[in-house]
Amino acid sequence: MSEIKKIIKGCLAGNRREQELLYRRHAAKLYAVCLQYSGNDEEARDILQEGFIKIFENLVHYKHEGSFEGWMRRITVNTALEKFRSRHNLYRVDDIDQIPEPDAEPDNQDYAGLEANDLLGIIRELPPKYRMVFNLYAIEGYSHKEIGKMANISEGTSKSNLSRARVILQRRVGSYTGIKKRIANG
Amino acid sequence: MDKRGANIDIVFRNGLEDYEVLPPQEVWDNIHPVVKRKRRPFILLRAAALIAVVLSMSFLAYRWSREVSTGHESTVVALNVETTSPVISPDIIRTIPVTGKENKVIQGSQKTKIKSTQDLTNTPDDENNISPAVGYLQVPNSLSASETPLLHGPRLVTLNSPQNKTFQIEEIKEQYLPENNAVKGTDRWSIAAMASPTYYSRFNSGNDELSKQLMASEENLISYSGGVAFSYKINKRFSIQSGLYYSSVGQMVDGINSFGGFQKYGNTAKGDPNFKVLTTNGTVRTNNADVFLLSNGPVERITTNYTNDVFDPIKANLLYLNNTLRQNFSYLELPIVLRYKFVDKKIDLNLIGGVSYNMLVNNSVYTMVDGGKYPIGDTEGLNLLTVSSSLGMGMEYSFSDKLSLNLEPTFRYYLNPFNEMTGSKIHPYSFGIFSGVSYKF
Repeated sequence: MSEIKKIIKGCLAGNRREQELLYRRHAAKLYAVCLQYSGNDEEARDILQEGFIKIFENLVHYKHEGSFEGWMRRITVNTALEKFRSRHNLYRVDDIDQIPEPDAEPDNQDYAGLEANDLLGIIRELPPKYRMVFNLYAIEGYSHKEIGKMANISEGTSKSNLSRARVILQRRVGSYTGIKKRIANG
Repeated sequence: MDKRGANIDIVFRNGLEDYEVLPPQEVWDNIHPVVKRKRRPFILLRAAALIAVVLSMSFLAYRWSREVSTGHESTVVALNVETTSPVISPDIIRTIPVTGKENKVIQGSQKTKIKSTQDLTNTPDDENNISPAVGYLQVPNSLSASETPLLHGPRLVTLNSPQNKTFQIEEIKEQYLPENNAVKGTDRWSIAAMASPTYYSRFNSGNDELSKQLMASEENLISYSGGVAFSYKINKRFSIQSGLYYSSVGQMVDGINSFGGFQKYGNTAKGDPNFKVLTTNGTVRTNNADVFLLSNGPVERITTNYTNDVFDPIKANLLYLNNTLRQNFSYLELPIVLRYKFVDKKIDLNLIGGVSYNMLVNNSVYTMVDGGKYPIGDTEGLNLLTVSSSLGMGMEYSFSDKLSLNLEPTFRYYLNPFNEMTGSKIHPYSFGIFSGVSYKF
């Protein structure tokens, strides 16, 4: 029996040591996911907490098919999504937001020198609805149709939010790398 | 621009791929008590079942050990000459005067066969006076008694007279005697009030993918069962039991968001449900016109005209209620059970088996809002009558001749499902530990 199977078995038996072991092994990675989906640390902590409770509750349904880490990540992302839906009004952007679609900018910038911590900071500055769509599409790999269902928005809204998110990110990453270069050059 | 591999997407995807941040300790401190608390009902149930099994096994072991160690002491005096068959005396105290003035008292239900190595017709009158019918064994004072323990088989007590007349008293085990299964005319009937928390689950012997997916997001609820049982004692070992029980079983269906305040938007024909939700126990149909349902799980199980493309509950500012539906079914049960008492002591142990006819009396679907039930609808196509088989072990501790405390861990398997879902073979089962008090009359 693999180590993870042993840990899961222990968790299902209510063994505190195994539960804590599972948490300690995966909390740091999942907390980074929570930070990515939230605008502040308190929200991220709430998502992690609720996500892990769901993980423990649903362990009995885990079929040992596919990656266990991926399974936990999906639960965490879904928890973030639920939290998002309960906190933000998800009106369709094309209904309430008459801002014209931004012009696409050539995506040929040099992003060298950006660290994960910088990227996380930039992504968390996005407006919540843009952040959610960008994360689900660009990081998790969902389609606009899937995102529409998950986030309770239309496909068009999902595409529009992604487009705006990218433009904002490009601008911020550009200015960020520029600042970094200037600091490096003295 | 809207291509999966946009440069900016790749930068973030790769840059955050293995990123880790240690969460504060308080997160785990908040998680653990919740996980522990939520598991408690099931753990308690398992612990109770384990205790029941251990108690039963202990009593079996205790009874067996008592039989082994005291079986020889439980004897009755009987007299026999060499060629005649043993005479069994009734249960009375018999006195055998032995060597000197010492009396040996063989008590109670002792059963003993005495063999003489000499012809008893030549023995003194006193010895001839020994009469099984009188049930009183007089052995002359001059006789001495000695016991010959045997490793296997009955123990021999040898009585020696001065004339070397030797009697061997062979004690006969109780088991050689026919069992008296007769029951007193009174106490044949008993009435018991029993109740139990019940853990309910299902076997899915089918292979259809849909029912497996549906089951993955359904969670069974701990439910309760209770009622009154009458039993009639056929003989010392067997009794037949029936009665009337009320039981409530149910399950939670995850991934269904419910909203309130839909009544002013819905225009479905009267009598038609606005929403239908597929579950392994049948299709839920809404009968509350004010409720709006939205699927939020891996399986699309809602059928409605009000899909998310047509109606947006957030935009309409509907009130979010919960993301879980609860199905509840209540049954009136008529059990017919045979009980076999295999240990008849201060604490009796019974094997219990039988069938139960269960009539559906309530069928509701609701969600929880602020600790209260918010009605959603009901489940269609439920079998109004189900039949379940049960097997259990009952422990009965007698307070007095009339009153006793009962504890009965019982496993129940439903022979037909609550609902005949196409392609699936889902048979519910339940485990409960019934406890209660019974009164004999």
